Amino acid sequence: MKPAVFQYRKAETTREALEALGTNPGAKVLAGGQSLVPLMNFRLSRPDVLVDINGIEELTLVEKLDQTLAIGALVRHSTLSQHPLIEREVPVLAEAARHIGHWAIRNRGTIGGSAVHADPAAELPAALVALRASVVVGAPRGERTMPADEFFLGYYTTALAQDELVMRFEIPLPARRMGFSEVVRRPGDFALVGAYVEDSDAEAAVTWFGLGAMPERQVVEAWPKGQDERQALLERLAREVQSDDEYKYAMAVNVAERAYLAAQKEG
Amino acid sequence: MAQAMRPQMMGARVSRVEDPRLLSGQARFLDDIQVPGMLEVAFVRSPHAAARIRGIHTEKAVQYPGVHAVLTHQECSVLLWERDTYKVGQPVLANGEVCYVGQPVVAIVAENRYVAEDAAELVVVEYEPVTPVLDMRESILEQPRRVHPEAENVFFHKKYATPGFDEAFAKAPHHLTASFRTNRQTAVSMEPRGTAAMVDAASGRVTVYASTQSPHRMREDISHLMEIPEHLVRVIVPEVGGGFGMKANCYPEDIVVVAAALKYKKPVKWVSDRMESLETDVHARDDIHDVEVAFDGDGKIIAIRDHLMADGGAYPAYPFSGAVGETSLASRVLTGPYDIPHLATEIHCTYSNKTPLGAYRGVWGPIASFIQEGVVDRVARHLGLDSAEVRRRNMIRPGQFPYRNAAGMVYDEGSYLQSMEEALTLIGYEGFRARQAKLREEGRYLGIGISVFVEPTAMASSEAGSVGYESCTIRIEPSGKVTAALGLGPSGQGHETTMAQIIADQLGVRFEDIVILHGDTDSAPFGGGTGGSRSGPIGGGAALVAGRQMRERLVKYAASLLEAGEEDIELGNGQAWVAGVPDRSIAIRTIAETAYTNVRKIPEGLPIGLELTARYLPKRPVTFSNGTHIAEVEVDIHTGVVEVTRYAVVNDCGTLINPTIVEGQIHGGVAQGIGSAILEALHYDEDGQLVTTSLLDYLLPESTDVPRIDVRHLETPSEGEGGIKGMGEGSLIAAPAAIVNAISDALTPFDGMVDTLPVTPPMVLQMVSGGRTR
Repeated sequence: MKPAVFQYRKAETTREALEALGTNPGAKVLAGGQSLVPLMNFRLSRPDVLVDINGIEELTLVEKLDQTLAIGALVRHSTLSQHPLIEREVPVLAEAARHIGHWAIRNRGTIGGSAVHADPAAELPAALVALRASVVVGAPRGERTMPADEFFLGYYTTALAQDELVMRFEIPLPARRMGFSEVVRRPGDFALVGAYVEDSDAEAAVTWFGLGAMPERQVVEAWPKGQDERQALLERLAREVQSDDEYKYAMAVNVAERAYLAAQKEG
Repeated sequence: MAQAMRPQMMGARVSRVEDPRLLSGQARFLDDIQVPGMLEVAFVRSPHAAARIRGIHTEKAVQYPGVHAVLTHQECSVLLWERDTYKVGQPVLANGEVCYVGQPVVAIVAENRYVAEDAAELVVVEYEPVTPVLDMRESILEQPRRVHPEAENVFFHKKYATPGFDEAFAKAPHHLTASFRTNRQTAVSMEPRGTAAMVDAASGRVTVYASTQSPHRMREDISHLMEIPEHLVRVIVPEVGGGFGMKANCYPEDIVVVAAALKYKKPVKWVSDRMESLETDVHARDDIHDVEVAFDGDGKIIAIRDHLMADGGAYPAYPFSGAVGETSLASRVLTGPYDIPHLATEIHCTYSNKTPLGAYRGVWGPIASFIQEGVVDRVARHLGLDSAEVRRRNMIRPGQFPYRNAAGMVYDEGSYLQSMEEALTLIGYEGFRARQAKLREEGRYLGIGISVFVEPTAMASSEAGSVGYESCTIRIEPSGKVTAALGLGPSGQGHETTMAQIIADQLGVRFEDIVILHGDTDSAPFGGGTGGSRSGPIGGGAALVAGRQMRERLVKYAASLLEAGEEDIELGNGQAWVAGVPDRSIAIRTIAETAYTNVRKIPEGLPIGLELTARYLPKRPVTFSNGTHIAEVEVDIHTGVVEVTRYAVVNDCGTLINPTIVEGQIHGGVAQGIGSAILEALHYDEDGQLVTTSLLDYLLPESTDVPRIDVRHLETPSEGEGGIKGMGEGSLIAAPAAIVNAISDALTPFDGMVDTLPVTPPMVLQMVSGGRTR
């Protein structure tokens, strides 16, 4: 369980990182390394060059702009879970981050890394979709921005080109208020299934994770007030998502119901 | 001054002397062993469950920079075959066929592990896959084929019945049937397996560092398999980070490493990674029990019939198959602490295209408890009786010891009923039912599960070694400090502490002045090693006997030097003195000085020096520990997730050496029991691929999954030395049954009854929806 041979490049700026990615077609970005390094040790991932972006200051910023909250790609899960701006503006993101792995993992893992890895059962990709966030991507050609739901394409697959680098995420403000819930075998595990449920003036929606191949957001006219009716609707929605396990549908409904109840508390 | 004979250290909560080095990262494990020029090994392993090998091409690997050598069966053809017992054995490197995923095929010896793994990728093996044998019931019928053409799939078959079984069974007013399944697990020691070997050019001796439970057994295996006389083999066991029975075997990798060191005259090392560990450490618990029970209207169980099946994997692990251990011993303790007069068992152990089955803490015990406690709960539910009451009605009574169970095993004195009653009080059983009923109305499903266990320990022949005794050498150095050596192979049990406690009491020296050595066959006396809960009772017994013999010698010295009668000499705190006249004393240091350097003053009839070896073989073939575990769980019926919320243990392992260490053993076993009950399972797919090859897929219990555990001790001494009984496995024997019974109890409204280990969320949801009336 040792990685195949690779070269290591430390990038001090995003320009350096992009240059390294542009000139090495087999290059990969090293952020927190919580998914990439195990994959390399299993030799399931074999980058020729590892471009270490951990020293790039601008990727660590959390900033409130006019209409958005910008979160740098290198922001660690532990920062997400306790940053005052995030706690205040997007509390559901802080809450979701607390459910990722354990302390050591949260201290290293990054939001950019989680998004790029695109594990269908991960908390953060679904959060980005649920929050209608944008992904700002850097490339030698310049920056481009795309909505999160266009960024995720399937199991461990994104719209990111090989020579591109995720710079930051922009969450529209005021952030949508929603509830979060997930089922895990053990605290810190990837979710068996999870959901974000929005019940705001703007929209009523559910975003699932761990159910299909990628985060799936579905909008409804309104959530029925009656529990039976609401759960019937949730079941219908869940079944629109192709799942690998039949039993997940029952769990999905229950999880979404809990997220809905949490959303009510959010007010 | 205190009476010397009164034990000062035995039974005391002495802090473990091992802990400072372990907790500060100073312990030296196998992978810490660095020798200049050491080469490392990586294995090319079978990607197929079953295939013929049509060709192996190693040219590219041989040429890869940094590669020292490449070994195939041609270069290393040792066979791990216990010829007296089994018809087949495993070649350490595959010979023309592979029989399980992960089987070693080629070994790469290179300057480091990175290079070795690079080169391993360059080896091309041409495989011709054949249909794998994966299902136990089919394998018994030789379907879809034989695993080994030269041997029947069933490699162990045994039938047993008490006289009059059929009649007693037929006459009983009530019957029920159940099929129990345990799924494959493995030990997952924190430190994986590993071996390092080097040849001493001067003497020609080979030194083997091995992460094993049994140093002398390993030496014997290497000597025997490789035809090297034993005195030319030295096995050193460094710090071992967990064994749990899994490190009681000699594995293919051990032999290949030694062979490479001998062949190339270079130090060679291999350390397992986690993937290799999950694939190739012996697996365990792959068993099916088809059970029929006969009982009367009061819940008194009259007869149990059990068809026991175990999947032994592709080969018998060397030198013993876990499948035989799990079944034949389970069949002998299947009635547990209950007075059940009739038993009929039939055992089938089969080959398959899976990893060989070996030992995992408790071996047969957790399976037998799962069956026996599951049976009691089923009888209780069938009759609408309280499950504690059904246990009471069936329990062996205090007056019945020594008790011969229906399989012929003789139990020595235990505290079966008392342990249950005290555990019921400890958990608050009475109050629980009201709480359960109230919370059920709120849609919360709590359950309570009882597991009363017997734990056969100190078996005169344990799975860890072929010897039933243990040895202890005590040497009082000229300084009066003590060095003692045992043939044990501790992997975290704290023997350096407990053995020193025992010896300190006997010699009257300070605990701090004793060093315990183990694990080096050049310094430790021949012994069976650690396993089968034998180190406390047998190893401790040897320490006690050696200590007593040395004490007698010290007393003779003191009597002579103090000019007093031997019967008047007392020992304590590094001194010997005349009883009642503390001024007439002599330091043990002075006695030691005399014994080694002032030899003219040695009392007549005594040898020069203070060194002796004693061996201890218990009179009884086995001594039984016992106890009761009670688990409380909450089941989320919407997600199927189970949380163990409260846990109580009343444990009786005879005379306690160190209660803190005993409690640590219990905590660990309960944690592993939670893993067995609700988390851990090795899964093979329909092609025989192991799909749980990382700890992302093989779920271990974590600290957050383990509740506070309330432990109380009872002490029913054994008849052996010191009254000590073993206790290394009882906690894992009892815990899975307690937890699954609690889950079954929680699911009573849905008629749910757990019959499979582990219980997963989908299974719980199935039980909930299966029983729910819509």
